[in-house]
This record gives sequence, structure tokens and C-alpha cells, in this order.
Amino acid sequence: MIFNSIEFFVFLPVAFLLYWFIRNIKLQNLFIVIASYLFYGWWDWRFLSLIIFSTLVDFTIGSLLKKEQVTQKRKLYLLISVIINLGFLGFFKYYNFFVDSFIDAFSFFGKELSVNSLNIILPVGISFYTFQTLSYTIDVYRKKLEPTKDFLAFSAFVCFFPQLVAGPIERASNLLPQFYSKRKFKYKQAVEGLKLILWGLFKKIVIADSLAPIVDDVFINYDTYASSTLIMGAVFFAFQIYGDFSGYSDIAIGTSKLFGFELMSNFKFPYFSKNVSEFWQRWHISLSTWFRDYVYIPLGGSHGSKFKTIRNILIVFLISGFWHGANWTFIIWGAFHAVLFLPIYFLKNRSNRIKFLAPFSIVFNFAVICVGWVFFRSDSISIANIYLQRMFFNFSYEYYLHPRGFRMIDYFILLAVFLVYEYIIKDNERNPFPIKNKVFRYITYILVIFSMLLFFDDGVDRSFIYFQF
Amino acid sequence: MFKFIKKIAVFVFITFLVLELLVRFFHLQDEKPNRYIDEFNVEKILPNQSGFSVTGNRRQNVGEFKINSFGFNSIYDSYKPSVDSLEIALIGDSFIQGFHENYKTSLGQKLEDKLSNYKVYEFGYAGWDLADELHLLKAYDSIFKEIDEVVIYIRFTDDLERGEYEVTNRLKNINTPFKKILRNSKLIIYAKDIGVVNGLTGGIINIINKVKKTKELSKENSITEKTNNKKRLLNFEKLIKSYPIDKDKCVFLIDYSLCDKAFVDYLSDNDFKTIDFSETFKKSNKEPTLVYDQHWNSYGRDLLSSLISDYYKNK
Repeated sequence: MIFNSIEFFVFLPVAFLLYWFIRNIKLQNLFIVIASYLFYGWWDWRFLSLIIFSTLVDFTIGSLLKKEQVTQKRKLYLLISVIINLGFLGFFKYYNFFVDSFIDAFSFFGKELSVNSLNIILPVGISFYTFQTLSYTIDVYRKKLEPTKDFLAFSAFVCFFPQLVAGPIERASNLLPQFYSKRKFKYKQAVEGLKLILWGLFKKIVIADSLAPIVDDVFINYDTYASSTLIMGAVFFAFQIYGDFSGYSDIAIGTSKLFGFELMSNFKFPYFSKNVSEFWQRWHISLSTWFRDYVYIPLGGSHGSKFKTIRNILIVFLISGFWHGANWTFIIWGAFHAVLFLPIYFLKNRSNRIKFLAPFSIVFNFAVICVGWVFFRSDSISIANIYLQRMFFNFSYEYYLHPRGFRMIDYFILLAVFLVYEYIIKDNERNPFPIKNKVFRYITYILVIFSMLLFFDDGVDRSFIYFQF
Repeated sequence: MFKFIKKIAVFVFITFLVLELLVRFFHLQDEKPNRYIDEFNVEKILPNQSGFSVTGNRRQNVGEFKINSFGFNSIYDSYKPSVDSLEIALIGDSFIQGFHENYKTSLGQKLEDKLSNYKVYEFGYAGWDLADELHLLKAYDSIFKEIDEVVIYIRFTDDLERGEYEVTNRLKNINTPFKKILRNSKLIIYAKDIGVVNGLTGGIINIINKVKKTKELSKENSITEKTNNKKRLLNFEKLIKSYPIDKDKCVFLIDYSLCDKAFVDYLSDNDFKTIDFSETFKKSNKEPTLVYDQHWNSYGRDLLSSLISDYYKNK
């Protein structure tokens, strides 16, 4: 079930009403588990077994870690959890990548191997809930978190439907305790939730989905379009992926609020960042902080020689890229960001101190991020290379016609208005409609809904990009 | 909680009204003229209506239509053929009806510009097939016998699905009281046209299927394309038998690239006259159809009008 589907618009109010009828905390948690399994099983019920298994493994290991005091045994338990969780992720997400890369490597040296890759379906959200459950086990191992005795609460924590399939990747320390206490309906929280859902839907339907056909067209025909069109394609993809993923996060956070939960913020207007370092503090925050806490710091972080720090940063960015997908393009994307990040890290963001440079820094940083997106969006590194070569070294202009005959000016105006509005609201990502006057606020709601009607495109694949990760 | 639900209900209601006003103000919705079945059992548009046909979001394509006293979209208020003048009748479905274009630049008008001595009368109705078209010829024989030439547009893949004419239930389904009420809301019409409502109904069907666990099995379509083509040819034969046409007067405007070879051979063997536009469209360096639907754009209509006029000039 996806957030922008009619199934969800039936599911959400029914679940909301039933949920608040329940007075007992255990029953509330049980309801969340059932609703979440229904939500996930709607896509493919067979893969529910993975979630249930993962829940059982991490709950059991959490309990064992509490009882066990011998370090070696505790390490062993942690290792079992890591192997099982990453094993599933590795098999479903990366098996074919490794097999294909292995074959490619051998054929490079003149040896042809005949290893068959499998037709594996990637379970939706596996990268997200795997990391979430891992964070629980690691925190329990580190004794930063008391393991739960409440299996129902833990199950609800693992499968909580608003953030199950595409995050935010919640920390057990933040989300799990919210399942221990009974939720009470709060009017203000519910209204905040609805506002976030509305804004998330706007970003998804109006920004991401309406740009998708243009981006698809440009990235398919990259070898025929002029560089002006390729630049537009890269910029539009930047907005598409932002609208898509941050839209999803807003809906997830908003939906959670409707059920009385507070999730962490996942996006803080990343395209207003002045450099790549700041970008990563604003983009997919739940993932970048996960890597910081569970990879970068355990590797030693910045406590060591410069070489070690560089090594640690590189590792984090490469893994982060690889997390996004089983393709070398994502690894290159991660490496590209690492290369941009390192000088800023060592210069300690000196450029930020000069105020008048800020707008230029933002524009420059956005341009650089767009170059990175070309790797992210391309099907292969060679395609990305050709795309970038044509974009930078073969400059020409041509008038671009929308693949479905829409006026292109509509999209430029739309993005300009969107950017200005995002700039106005940039102080608080949790409140997309900070307009005090009731009438103006209502006019804004109407404009947002009306623009959904204007830009709704029945012909696009409405699923979220990050589902594939 | 009650306050929350009450406020949402009020919000939804007011928003619906405001959106309805906005859709009307910007005229985003498509205007669909009323249709009826006349005394000869011909499904037509109610005469003397005019308006604008709007396609896509944000008024992507707007075409003005004007329905004449005979019930067809045309610049002519009525069709009065006479022996003293030359007339061509253009019969067909939505492609000839031409709601995707301005009625002043229709295929008929473009043809008339090229054949200055002819008047072109258009008899287009969205959804018609060959059975409808031949039934029209028979029902209004008194008019068509005065018309000098008849061009019948058919699409092999769509217009030969039945071998005899009978009035369809199409209008009954359109004119249910519930749908009549819904048609008063321009917002709903617009939402339906851009696919929002399809998403809703599709989603609801999906939910019902899931709940009932009657997930529609993809039934293997046992009827192969070959059988379909055979059936279409049989239907054509049957229709022509029921509604014989004057082979000298009538010519089929047809895209051979969509046709089965046996059908093309049959037309040729039985001396049916045809104007095939497949090659012209294929060779054209510009797209002859609209971007967002399959109908002919202005350029496509230019090509077709040239083909038809050449046919009559050479005749």
C-alpha cells in the first residue's frame, strides 16, 4: 500500500478511528501491529515472514544480551543479529549485484563464467527496517538502551506502518519508549499531522510525479538531447527525488502524529545548504546519523590520524551509496560526495563565515549536488559519463518539448514558486504552513490542493523512488 | 476527537465548494454535449448545442464544437444536399466528430478548402463503429442519396467488433440519475477526466477484490489475434450484406498498417474503394497525432485532407 493510493486513503481513516476507540495500551499496540502487517502485506504478504523473523531474532537477542555479562558471548549474540539482518539484506538486495560483478571481473581477465543470477524480488523497505532493528540490538549491546520485555511493543516498533517501507529510520531509543505508554488523542498533534500529510502529498504529486515524465524522457534519450536539456534533466531530477522522498517522510511523520507518535525529522530543506557537509545534515537525516552513530564513530570517527579520518569518511560515504542500491552508480555517487565532503571537513566550513557568499554557495552547492544526481539516476556509470560529457563539453541549446505536450513554462513557474515557498518556511520543517492569519492559511491549503488537481498525472508510476532501496 | 472530525468534515465541504468554483472559473472541465437516440434509432448528439471540449490537465487542449440541427459537429447549421451542388459526406467516430479540434479547422473544413467545388458534411460521433455508420447511411438514405460522395472512416482494430446493428446501452449507462447528479459538478467531471476518479474506482475495485480474495486471475486469452481478425472480416462481410453500399460512391478511409492482410485482400478482391493513409503517416517527418491522445492533430488532418482531395481529383 502506498501513501498516495486510494487504498491508503481508505485504510488511514478507518485505522485512525478504530485506533482511537481502543483504550488499552496493549490493544493499541496490537492494533498497530495488525494494521502494519495489513499495510505491508497489501504489497506482498509473503515478505511479512521476513519482518516477523527479524522481529523475533532481535527481540530474543536483546533479551539474551540483557542476561549475558560475558563480553565474548555478548559479541557473539550481536554478531548473530548482524549476520541474520544483513544476510537477508545482502541476499535480497545484493546477491545479483555480486554475482554479476564477479562475472564481469572474470570476463575482464578473459575468463567467461556461467553463474546464473537469480530472479529475486527486493522486499519493499528491507533496507529501512533492517537498519532500524539493528540499531536496537547495537544500542542494547552497548548498554545504551534497556532491552524491552514487551514483545508486542517491540513488534509495533519494528513494523510501525508510517515509516516501515521508507523511513525515517527510527532509533529504538526514540520510538520504542513511545509504545510503552498509552497514547492520548491530542487535537494539536493531529492537526499538525494533517498539515504534514498535505504538504507531503503536494511534494509527491505536484513536484515529484509531474517532473517524472520529463526526467525519464531526458535520462532515456540522454544521447540525443542538447546539453541545455541535459542540465534541465539533472536539475529536475534533483527536485523530483527531493519531492518524492521528503514528501514520503512528511506523510510518514504526519501519519505518525495522527496516531500519537513523534518521529524524527528526515529532511531540513537540503537544497539551501551552503556545502556538501551541510547538505548531509539536512538530507535523509535518519540515514546519515545512523551511519555516523553505527559506522563512523565505531571506526574511530575523527579521533585519530588524518589518514584514519579520511578512511572513515570514505567508508561511510561508500557504504551509504551502496545502501541505496546494488549498482556501481550508487557507489560512485557516494564516492563523489565523499570527495566533495573531505575538503570542507578539513577546512572546517570556513566559507560559511563570509555572509555575502552564502547565496552563491547555495547555488554552487546545488549545482554540484545535481552532478552527483546524474550518477544516482543513470542506469550505468558509462551512461552517467556520457551524460556528463555531453552536459559539460558539448554545450548547445534547444527548445525542449514535454513528452506529453504540456507547456514547459508551467514547470519552471512551479519550481520557482516551490523554491520561494520552501525558503519562506525553511525555519521549521515540521510546520509547512506557518501562516498565522486563518484566511490566508486556508487560501494556501486551497492552492496546494488545487495545484494537485492541476498537476496530477494519471500516466506516471506513482510509487515512491525510495521503495526500491 | 469529535472536534477534530467535525472540523475535517467542514474543511472537506468548504474545500469542495471552493474547488468547484475554481474549476468553473478557469473552465478546466470538459463540456460534453447531451446525446440521444433519434426516431431512426441512430445515436446522435442533441442538436443545436455548442461549447468547448477540454482535454488534459490545465486545459492542455481546447476545441470548440458546434452541433448543428442534424446532431453533428459542423460549420453547417443543417445539411441540405441538392443535385445542383457537389457534396461529400465524411462518416466516422471521434476522429471525424473532431471534438479535439476547433470545428472550423476540422478535417471536413480542410478538405473543403482543397476541393473548392465540394461541400463537406461531417457525420462524426464518438464511439461509432462500422455498424453505426452503415445504419446511419440506411436510416438517412433520403439525404445520402443526394450526396455525391461518401467517405467512411474505419479502424480495423476497433470498428468491426460486431456484425449487426442494434442500439447499445451506452446512453442508458451514461444517463443514470446518479450520473446526472454527478455531471452537475464540474470538479467531479474534471477529476474524472484527468484520471483521479479512475484511480478511486480502480482502487475500490482492487480493495473489493482483495477483500473477497477473488484476485482476478489473468485468464489466458484463448482467442488469438488471428481469430479476432477472422471475426472482424466476417463482421465486415455480414454488415455489408445487411447494408449494401454503393461501391462507386463510398470509399473507406483506412489505416492499412492496422489491418489484417486477409481483410486488405478482401477489400481489393471485392472492388471496395479505399484511401489508405498508413504510408503517408509513416513517411511524415512530423507527428500526425496529438501528443496526449491518438486523434489527428492539425498536421495529420492536413495530410488526410490532401490524400482525400487527391483521390477525388484523380477520380
